[in-house]
Amino acid sequence: MFDRDIWQEIFNTLKKNKLRTFLTGFSVGWAIFILVMLLASVNGMQNGFVGQFNDDATNTIFVRPGTTAKAYAGFEAGRRVQLKNEDLDYIAKSFPKDVEYISARYYANATARYKSETGSYPVQAVHPDHQIIEKTLVIDGRYFNEADVINKAKVAVIGRKVAEDLFKDEDPLGKFVEMNNLPFKVIGIFTDEGDDNAERRVYAPITTYQRIYGNTNNINVIALTYNPTYDLSKALAFSGRLEELMKRRHKISPEDQSGLFVWNYAEAFDDISSFTAVLKAIGIGVGFLILIAGIVGIGNIMVFTIKERTKEIGVRKALGARPRQIINLVLLESIFITALSGFIGLMFAWTVLSLVGPAIETPAFSNPSVSGGTVVTATIILIIAGVLAGLIPAIKASSVKPIVALRDK
Amino acid sequence: MIEIKDLHKSYKMGSNSLHVLKGINFTAEAGELVAIMGSSGSGKSTLLNILGILDGADSGEYTLDGVPIEDLTETKAAQYRNKFLGFVFQSFNLINYKSALENVALPLYYQKVGRKERQEKALNYLDKVGLKEWASHLPSELSGGQKQRVAIARAMAAEPKVLLADEPTGALDSTTSYEVMALIQKINDEGNTILVVTHEEDIAHMCKRIVHLKDGVIVEDKKVKQVRAEQYV
Repeated sequence: MFDRDIWQEIFNTLKKNKLRTFLTGFSVGWAIFILVMLLASVNGMQNGFVGQFNDDATNTIFVRPGTTAKAYAGFEAGRRVQLKNEDLDYIAKSFPKDVEYISARYYANATARYKSETGSYPVQAVHPDHQIIEKTLVIDGRYFNEADVINKAKVAVIGRKVAEDLFKDEDPLGKFVEMNNLPFKVIGIFTDEGDDNAERRVYAPITTYQRIYGNTNNINVIALTYNPTYDLSKALAFSGRLEELMKRRHKISPEDQSGLFVWNYAEAFDDISSFTAVLKAIGIGVGFLILIAGIVGIGNIMVFTIKERTKEIGVRKALGARPRQIINLVLLESIFITALSGFIGLMFAWTVLSLVGPAIETPAFSNPSVSGGTVVTATIILIIAGVLAGLIPAIKASSVKPIVALRDK
Repeated sequence: MIEIKDLHKSYKMGSNSLHVLKGINFTAEAGELVAIMGSSGSGKSTLLNILGILDGADSGEYTLDGVPIEDLTETKAAQYRNKFLGFVFQSFNLINYKSALENVALPLYYQKVGRKERQEKALNYLDKVGLKEWASHLPSELSGGQKQRVAIARAMAAEPKVLLADEPTGALDSTTSYEVMALIQKINDEGNTILVVTHEEDIAHMCKRIVHLKDGVIVEDKKVKQVRAEQYV
């Protein structure tokens, strides 16, 4: 296979038939180009959709209280449900294997002031785990930790926009910002992939805010992530059990749709995943059909080449070429054209994607690209395609009878 | 060297079959130079194809250098052709995108001779046919006579037991024909067994023995006094 002479022969034939080689190769190169572009587009679409959601970790569940719609267990309908710190502990203790990170959220608003700049921002008082659940990216300083929560420290992690608004060119770290006239030390600045609004927000330890607001132990929302190894059915089963347990704890009818909301990201995410999976399958399907056209094209040309070279093959056989050697020659030529032109198509697609891809950034479509895996798969497909395209012509060539080929009278 | 007993061969032509060889008995010793003559349709090309293991006989025995040639697989046939036989064709059948040297080296390639040794041997044989300077030329840059000499060098390169020449001078003018025949005689003088199929009387008389075929049987088999070709060159 790595015989220098075989390659020399292949190069010779290809060089001799430049136009034919180009036209043949073009069909396969073009097919691979389309296949890769299709896959990249689907990828881009997927990126776009996921981008809409990736504000938060994708294995997130939110528990929100509501107002009961049904009378149950001696309570009348229309009761407001209130979550408390104990609910958080209860969930964490009840599902030690299912819960990965868990945090409460306490919503407040603050008028923040630094020197002469003021602004009004929503405050989320949370636990340290919230950083991971919300995928908050601290770009400077640090997020608060357990110690801050225990000490009810007056520390704040402020959004990038908040920092810009209040501190202008100053470095906010270590400075004190007044929130509703109480000084909070800025310990970190975060950015969020969500949007600008998410960056006009302040995070503070939950305990600090609960104390400020009259030593309450109320919380607004419980956010948690479940075990990331769970697949969809396990995730849904878990959120089902969670909902059941929380409803029982708060004496809400199991049929009550508005007393408590347990919202599982997995559901929405699963819809998108199956949608993009279908798109991907269509992309691969169409790409393959085009590739098949390319393969048939190469096969066609190879058959023609064999016909043209019947005499030469006859001579080779008369000189002692074994059938295997003839098959090898034709197959290698076919594989070579297919692989090379496919590779050029691949590289072309890759270049286009790396030039244009990052520039595309719309909500539904972002950074179309292909993975290394796709490239490897495509290369393997190409080699198989080359074999398939060359197989019939090769067998045909090897069965050429020298006597027929040499009949020159 | 060559021994044929009661060889039959027929071709199917649609519904009726054409009996081409009707019981050929023939032997050739090592070092012979035999001309096989006959008009077209006499079966001389069919005989040569069978001798060259390019075609199989329907019945009869064929022994080549003590090896019985029968029921060969394609691969085995290829090996035997490569080992025992050298071919020279009327239309030269050089591979047109390979240089003279590469053409001569081709049978050695199929003998799995290493690249360097192959080149040396091929050049040596090109030198023998007087075309060393033309080694890197393509067949299209050679004259008819030169092409045939390259073809002979190619046939000899594998050091075959028997050289089979099918109308080697059929496509050449008389002067070049004699040049080629002089070369064939020279190779024969070195002890090689050569069979030449021809329908030209003067070419046949440059061999040592003439076998006449007519309608699938040998009608005449005689030794002749060899006419040396050099005198006409």
